Amino acid sequence: MSAVLKPSTASPVTPRNYGKFNLHGVMQAPVTPLKEDFSFDGDGFAKMVDFHVRHKAPAIAWPHHKAESLNLTIAERKLGAEIAVKTVNKRVPVSIFVGTLSEEDSLDLARHAQKIGADMILTISPYCRRPSQEEMFDSIVRIATHTDLPMLTYNSPWRNGEGVEFTADLTARLIERLPNYIGMKDASFHSEKFLEISRVALKMRPGFAIIQGVEHLLAAYPLGACGSFSSSGAIAPNLCNRFFASMEAGDWKTARECQFIILQMYRMFKEQYPSSLKGAMINMGRPVGPTRPPLPTATKERVEFLRAQLDKLGVLETEPHGW
Amino acid sequence: MFRPGLVHTPITPFKADQSIDYGTYAKILEFHLKHGAEALALPMPEGEDLSLTDVEQRALLKFAIAQVKGRVPIIAHVSDAGTAITVERAIFAEKAGATAIASHPPYFWHPRPAMVVEHLVQVGKAITLPLFVVNPPVETAGTSLTTEMVLQLIEKVPNLAGVVDASLDFVFMEEIMCLGQQIRPDFQLLSGGDFSVPSGTLGGSGVFSTLSSIAPKLARRVFELSRQEKYLEAREPQEQIAELHHLIRNAGESGLKDGLAGMKTAMAAFGRPCGNPRPPVRALGEIERGKISEALAGMAFLKDEPRGW
Repeated sequence: MSAVLKPSTASPVTPRNYGKFNLHGVMQAPVTPLKEDFSFDGDGFAKMVDFHVRHKAPAIAWPHHKAESLNLTIAERKLGAEIAVKTVNKRVPVSIFVGTLSEEDSLDLARHAQKIGADMILTISPYCRRPSQEEMFDSIVRIATHTDLPMLTYNSPWRNGEGVEFTADLTARLIERLPNYIGMKDASFHSEKFLEISRVALKMRPGFAIIQGVEHLLAAYPLGACGSFSSSGAIAPNLCNRFFASMEAGDWKTARECQFIILQMYRMFKEQYPSSLKGAMINMGRPVGPTRPPLPTATKERVEFLRAQLDKLGVLETEPHGW
Repeated sequence: MFRPGLVHTPITPFKADQSIDYGTYAKILEFHLKHGAEALALPMPEGEDLSLTDVEQRALLKFAIAQVKGRVPIIAHVSDAGTAITVERAIFAEKAGATAIASHPPYFWHPRPAMVVEHLVQVGKAITLPLFVVNPPVETAGTSLTTEMVLQLIEKVPNLAGVVDASLDFVFMEEIMCLGQQIRPDFQLLSGGDFSVPSGTLGGSGVFSTLSSIAPKLARRVFELSRQEKYLEAREPQEQIAELHHLIRNAGESGLKDGLAGMKTAMAAFGRPCGNPRPPVRALGEIERGKISEALAGMAFLKDEPRGW
């Protein structure tokens, strides 16, 4: 792979408006380290967050699904949020995910995030209910108006039930209603859906942050996506940063090479997500313990398999080992 | 290997008595050639292939080949529910002089993955032409291709040239390019629909342009900028054609948002009347037609597009 980034010869690059928080790049969503007895490992978590920031994560976002958010108690989520804010210590913005099964808990987590000095919250369409667009609107408005913090929403049309998505219309209504609505984590991964949201939202609110997953960022970046939330930085922070730099430079060939390596990594992780991600971290000298049931923990064989794959992709030798 | 670039996908015009309007079809084909088609694919879903009989599909293809006279390659689209019917039509298309064949997974049935693969293997084996398999939109009532199916097809079908992807799914496009090209370096991705920026960034090289019937200049601009990897410059026209795409697809009553009724209404608005869609697809009512005309008139970026034939 070419490690040298050639300057763009193709297109005149106009600087982008990344909004007040300058949200851009491959932002990291840390996993949640657990002890062998499955209890929350606060010290391990601080180490994890610090690792990301030292390896140039432009923002920290926790606890996303890969952080086993729904398998953590509300008390654990508050404790983790406090550790994240304290560890980051203003070096980069911190986003706290407040999605829970019960909206009351989400409101509680939003209040808490504001109290402890988080920079923004991320919320999601109600879980397990296939809400209508109206129910989604009301829910998001209740959470967003419950706090003074800026808010992002998580659009997950493939995971949260068919039809449960932030359509362009819903997004536009929310932008109109909520001055603190600053961006969306968009996991629709679909050309048409992405463009519906991006062309409406970015016109209404320049600097609105449309954030992808790093595993599928390249297709959306030229169309206005500002970056991604990712856990790949737990394995390969150099690759993540090189990927984003090559897109910013308009070096599409390098960007595609990076994207394809990240994709192949993600294909290993998505099986039994996030246990395979945690398993792969062992191979990088950064063990973070087991995964809470009902999700499985990676077996020794799985960890060995992951090691061989990471080796094949060139990740073992080009990425940092240990903390 | 045949590498189609900007492929136009003509619609099929019908008379009031539901017969194919060949006089208008000739005009449609000439329109596409005049406005930059590098190849034609027909009859695609926007050409209402589902509503054409087997006899009509064969006649239409023969007519198009005679009309085009080799000026651009013609990709014959043959998709059906039964494998034997599909295979027979593919063989016919090869003999008639098509340059390549495009085929969906079997219509209607939801076979197991191995049977979907087998269906397409049979189509590929029956012809010597390059085969492009088509992945339908995510809203489809039929069977979609998976990455694993495509990888198996690459292994099993030597004349498989690529995938035309109308699912517009980043993950699928990324996977078939990354993993497919590891098996066959010249394996192609074409965007099914005018979304060449996302597919181009991932290594896609062509497009089946549905909207070239309405806005051939805009369709070409998006495609050309993507072909030159000028993705940032392509953003504006890509957003514009997405806006047009959204308008057309959301008109009409189709749960699949097939856009057939909207497409024919828009064509009439641009001075190229070609009748209504065949039943059971309903034409738009007067109010909806008015709405589309108004919305089109409000799209300033369409002002340079050709009116009439």
